[in-house]
Amino acid sequence: MEIIETVKGGYVRNMLKEGKRIGGRGMMDFREIKVKAGVIEHAEGSAQADVGDTRVLAGVKLMPEDPMPDTPDQGNIITNAELLQLAYEEYEPGPPNPESVEFARVVDRGIRAASCIDLASLVLEDKKVWSVFIDLYVLNYGGNLLDAGYLAAMAALMNAKVPKYENGVADHRQRDKSLKISNIVTSTTFGKIDGSILLDMDINEERIADTRLTVVMDGNVLRAMQKGLKGSLTIQEIGKMIDTSMEKHAQLKSILENAVKEAK
Amino acid sequence: MRSLIFPGEEAQSARHAPCTYCENGRVFSSAVGMLDTERGGVVPLEGPWVPRIGEQVVGTVTDSKNHVYTVDLSYYCRALIIGSRYDRESMEIGDVIEATIKNIEDGGVIILSYPKMLLGGVLVNIKPAKVPRVIGKEDTMVRQIESLTRTRMVVGRNGTAWIKGKPQDTELAICAISLIERKAHQQGLTEAVKVMLENESRNKKGE
Amino acid sequence: MGSSLNKPELIKDGKRLDGRAFDELRPLKIEAGVLKNADGSAYLEWGNNKVLAAVYGPREAMPKHMTDPTKGIVKCRYSMAPFSGIDDHGRSGPNRRSTEISKVAKEAFENVILLNDYPSGMIEIFMEILQSDGGTRAAGITAASVALANAGIHMKDMMYAVSAGRIDEHIVLDVNMIEDNYSDADMPMVIAPRNNDVLLLQMDGGLDKGQFDQAVKMVLEAGKKIHEVQKRALEDYYNMREGK
Repeated sequence: MEIIETVKGGYVRNMLKEGKRIGGRGMMDFREIKVKAGVIEHAEGSAQADVGDTRVLAGVKLMPEDPMPDTPDQGNIITNAELLQLAYEEYEPGPPNPESVEFARVVDRGIRAASCIDLASLVLEDKKVWSVFIDLYVLNYGGNLLDAGYLAAMAALMNAKVPKYENGVADHRQRDKSLKISNIVTSTTFGKIDGSILLDMDINEERIADTRLTVVMDGNVLRAMQKGLKGSLTIQEIGKMIDTSMEKHAQLKSILENAVKEAK
Repeated sequence: MRSLIFPGEEAQSARHAPCTYCENGRVFSSAVGMLDTERGGVVPLEGPWVPRIGEQVVGTVTDSKNHVYTVDLSYYCRALIIGSRYDRESMEIGDVIEATIKNIEDGGVIILSYPKMLLGGVLVNIKPAKVPRVIGKEDTMVRQIESLTRTRMVVGRNGTAWIKGKPQDTELAICAISLIERKAHQQGLTEAVKVMLENESRNKKGE
Repeated sequence: MGSSLNKPELIKDGKRLDGRAFDELRPLKIEAGVLKNADGSAYLEWGNNKVLAAVYGPREAMPKHMTDPTKGIVKCRYSMAPFSGIDDHGRSGPNRRSTEISKVAKEAFENVILLNDYPSGMIEIFMEILQSDGGTRAAGITAASVALANAGIHMKDMMYAVSAGRIDEHIVLDVNMIEDNYSDADMPMVIAPRNNDVLLLQMDGGLDKGQFDQAVKMVLEAGKKIHEVQKRALEDYYNMREGK
């Protein structure tokens, strides 16, 4: 059952004024998180992440390709996101829109910045490298795509196996070793509504949010940030978000590690 | 749960009964549901609202021009109230109203009459297939929820319900509706709702 | 049809590569009501195929000029995820193949949906192929039928789809990817189970009349099983939701 949005906006706002959220959730609590790795056997790696009602499926494919001209001694990462029409009634068909482009680029940024994949290890031979395709498929939209996207992408990479490569040809039916993952990044996305700061906004909260900030951590190191929407944040508010993000990192990381372990 | 009937299965029923269609003299179900042995036809488990003349609905006024008001019924077709020049109080955009379906025109446009303003309160969406259970036989369920939660409720056939009361009472009424939505086809639903609401109010007092 | 060069031995000792008999379906599993936002949905695994289908509607017809005040319109999208294939990485978005499949599927759905109940409305049907191993259009349509029933859209029948093919002189049911690549004929069909009317038919390769008859017989026989799985999926969903 859904409370109708115009009225619900007021309902959510009034609750936040009293420091409460729908379902009795704390301001810095995530909704239930479920990550399942290895769901698409045809992909080199895959994972489905649920954060509350949001569901993102990530597929990783490795293909032998030419390196980029400016980085001949590195593999490629190509991240793409599809906000599938079946995920939400307001998603429309057509070429990638700004929302899906931002989503894919922000996920890509943290994974690159933290060198989660050692790009030098992706070189196959002279002028042949692995291209790592990360495709994010949004299956159900329920607010906070970014954190679900990071979990799905990271778990899919940790789950990925490298195809055998011989005489210039990849054999995708023989995947002998795991893709080497050097670092695990996690993201936490905060919102600000009428001055209240909250973690992991649901669909109703996201609709009325003034500001959004995504903080991507790798241990104690900040790896990426992205502010969204037209509102503003104080330096103190950002500081608090970074502290919370550090606290949440261990919890999210262990969810990822367990999911990948269970898939084995 | 009684056994289900599926689209394309023969329904022992009269022609033109709800959720059925007729082909070569035989009547078939057009939805997943249960045979209605009392009134004939199929009671669907799911599905969009199909408006009928005379039904009570709840919606929000979204536009007004020259005494023609557009009402959002959370339905894909437009709903209009054609007001007369002598209307004393005019409705404004954002007002919540209950009204009766007077006519359904070509293209599905719904004409409403007898609008009544509903002041304050919250609106919730109920799955249209569950509305009959939320209302209950001769309004018994709605009246029960109202008295046990000390709220005022108007449930539109379009699946929009208006609830007014103190915040914790409203929340309780919403809980009751979601219970009905989840268990709509179980027997003894009235009793289950009563037990749930009485337990909840006891817990609240205990806090 | 692939080239006959390098054709693997598809049939050995009367069994197919994956050990199936000629008229045997791959394992089929359907779950209804898997997506929160959609009005109806279904997840299907059929052999190695994995498909997500969802339905939205009736909603306001878009674009506006498509609106029909007397009845609803149907929109249909069949699409393959870029990671769905084992060997390649596909680009998503519509290509000529998916455009054609979307069209013939839409026409089949238009036959069963009672469109007069939804004047000026639009029913949207989405079939996302998450993993593909041959027979994805049949998998998509079979799943979408369950999603439509799950959405409560009024329809004349809950149709199913399956394909039959020919490998050498044998007619085989439910062709998988490797068989499809080297088979001598492939014929996907969509059937309305209440009267066995054919709502979609495509054929490619070569069949004589006797082989065609045999293929149809196999499809109709297997259809009983497929339809049973579709009904069970909905039954399980409603039983679980009502807590029984």
